Amino acid sequence: MNFTKRTYWLFLLPALLALLLVLIIPFVQGIYFSFTQYDGFHVNEFVGLDNYKRLFTDDQFVYSLWFTAGFSIASVIGINVIGLSLALLVTQKLGKISTVFRTVYFMPNLIGGIILGFIWQFIFLKAFTGIADWTGLEIFRGWLSNTETGFWGLVILFVWQMSGYIMVIYISFLNNVPQELMEAATIDGANSWQSFWKVKFPLIAPAFTVSLFLTLSNAFKVYDQNMALTAGGPFGSTEMVTMNIYNTAFKVQEMGYAQAKAIIFLIIITFISVIQLYFTRRRETEL
Amino acid sequence: MLIKKLAIGFIAVITMAVVAACSDAANDGSSDNQQGRGEVTIELFNIKVETANQLHSLIEEYESENEHVKINVTTVGGGQDASSALQAKFSSRDEPAIFLLGGLSDVEKYSKYLLDVSDMASAKAAIDGTLQGATLAGTPYGIPLNIEGFGWMMNKDIFERAGVDPDSIDSYDTFVEAVETIDSQKEQLGIDAVFAFSAMEDWVVSQFSNHFTAPEFDNDVNVAYEAAELTFEYGDRMKAYTDLMNQYNYQPILSLDYSTSVEELFANDRAAMIHQGNWIVPSLNSIDETFTQEKLGILPLFTDSDDEGYISAGPSWFWGINKEKDDEVVEESKKFIDWMYTSEKGKERIVTDFQYVPAHEGYDADAITDPVSKEVYEMLLDGKGRIWAHNQYPDGFFSTALFPEFQKYLGERITWEEFEEAASEKFKEMR
Repeated sequence: MNFTKRTYWLFLLPALLALLLVLIIPFVQGIYFSFTQYDGFHVNEFVGLDNYKRLFTDDQFVYSLWFTAGFSIASVIGINVIGLSLALLVTQKLGKISTVFRTVYFMPNLIGGIILGFIWQFIFLKAFTGIADWTGLEIFRGWLSNTETGFWGLVILFVWQMSGYIMVIYISFLNNVPQELMEAATIDGANSWQSFWKVKFPLIAPAFTVSLFLTLSNAFKVYDQNMALTAGGPFGSTEMVTMNIYNTAFKVQEMGYAQAKAIIFLIIITFISVIQLYFTRRRETEL
Repeated sequence: MLIKKLAIGFIAVITMAVVAACSDAANDGSSDNQQGRGEVTIELFNIKVETANQLHSLIEEYESENEHVKINVTTVGGGQDASSALQAKFSSRDEPAIFLLGGLSDVEKYSKYLLDVSDMASAKAAIDGTLQGATLAGTPYGIPLNIEGFGWMMNKDIFERAGVDPDSIDSYDTFVEAVETIDSQKEQLGIDAVFAFSAMEDWVVSQFSNHFTAPEFDNDVNVAYEAAELTFEYGDRMKAYTDLMNQYNYQPILSLDYSTSVEELFANDRAAMIHQGNWIVPSLNSIDETFTQEKLGILPLFTDSDDEGYISAGPSWFWGINKEKDDEVVEESKKFIDWMYTSEKGKERIVTDFQYVPAHEGYDADAITDPVSKEVYEMLLDGKGRIWAHNQYPDGFFSTALFPEFQKYLGERITWEEFEEAASEKFKEMR
């Protein structure tokens, strides 16, 4: 019907307009800048693919990519395992107290990344040193002063921040598991271990799609936590891709080159997300 | 039909909201001259977080004297990040009328906007040579904010208790002796370590390097700015200082941040020396007033000569005025800066309230309240100050090349030769 079609586009228009202004136009502009030498004020010259060629010999950028990939894998696993565990914990029939726990676990997500970064910096630098002095455990000493502790520091921070959020997603799926299925499993003699893995787990598979997608893309795009906690240090060894791009753009003032990095980064993220969506979707339909 | 009307109404409202929001933003820049006759709004971009409160009260006083002027301050903190924020402001066409310039590369970058300040009273009053850091092709583009000096800030009390007379340190060797003497009495003195060098902060490392690069650049701002390469002519001495400091430093040195170094270790008598400048005086004062009066001192570094020690001192920042703004905004901006540095009220505040070491003439040196600032001022006048050469490094050099490589050396990942090589190579590449 004519009416529906027109209303459809009319309703879409404001959103489209906004997207065009803040997303599509800057994006196209960005692609153009990535082929130029641009300092933020003037386009100095058109350099074609030079910026992209330079990328492959930029050790720090390649290192940052691998570091970010490692960080993403570690935190995606961490967040989902802990998020699911927390969800299982608070969906036990514990009465009012489970609401309290839900709130508490979700709380870290309400704090901004910068503040979280500084809170954890304090914990790693001050509280951990305090523990080390008190107990003599050397493992608590010197956090953030080398690459390994910097890496795990970031993972811990991010897992702590995101687990509560992912927990909420798992809770909603767990609550949707039909009661009669669980009853049937119990009648068939399944213990709680079996009923979790054989009944609940397959039924909450769609939650994995959502959660993995959210955590993976978020982990790749981390910037503020990274900046506040380690600022890339020591010696740039915990510098993630986003920070590398930012530094190239605003510290070294090579906007064009930074833009080329950003485009490559975008392609990588899109690629990973599409693959992941494809696989998790396929799993869902099989069930 | 009702749905249709509702829908159209809804869309109309949203579209209007979007359009209104956009046109609002577009108008913002030119709203200066629309606000009633004679009223002028000046946007000021401040980078000195340490004295943001003092700046606010200075502006309040100025505004009460000049009621038609309104000055809005945006303060963004901490060196390089602030430069990014400033650049973002310019990129988004939301340019401030008055802003701070860090060095000649900033001057060059914003040269299209910068006003020639040579006819301003505050430029004429500037101490000889202090305009150099903002002068391109003979034209000064900035008014020096203040003089800042840095070197080894020491706790004289600890030195004395350890039996070391700070005045007896007149060469690199006596400095090493002093460090070793203090280290041998760590327990009795109740200190954690001799040094608390914060190697987590890129700017601290950059400033440390200044002592060794300034003489290589003939102690001349323009030579430093135009230098095509950095050869580490005094690299051996830099290595000696670095090794000494790393050996006797609070560990882990790589995660020692500014506030732990200054406010926790140094201010609480837990470290004898840090590499900082006189800008830490206000924050030390806020912890313990007597510290700066009785304990704080500054030690020079011996770089190119064994018995001639220098600190680094000079104007670090310059006020630039945006000439692209409306004429009356430019006029009022000039008046404000002149007032700040040449009026009696302004002068008094600069010395007593801001506790700056003035970069202008006509100030009473005795009015400088803390001993270290006075010492810096006197050393500068005695020719014992090096220029701020590190402000003239290529953009991003110190934070993305010098600093990480230096950290690698401290963390024993690379040798000194590799450090020099990597840093020199990057310097050439980024210049």
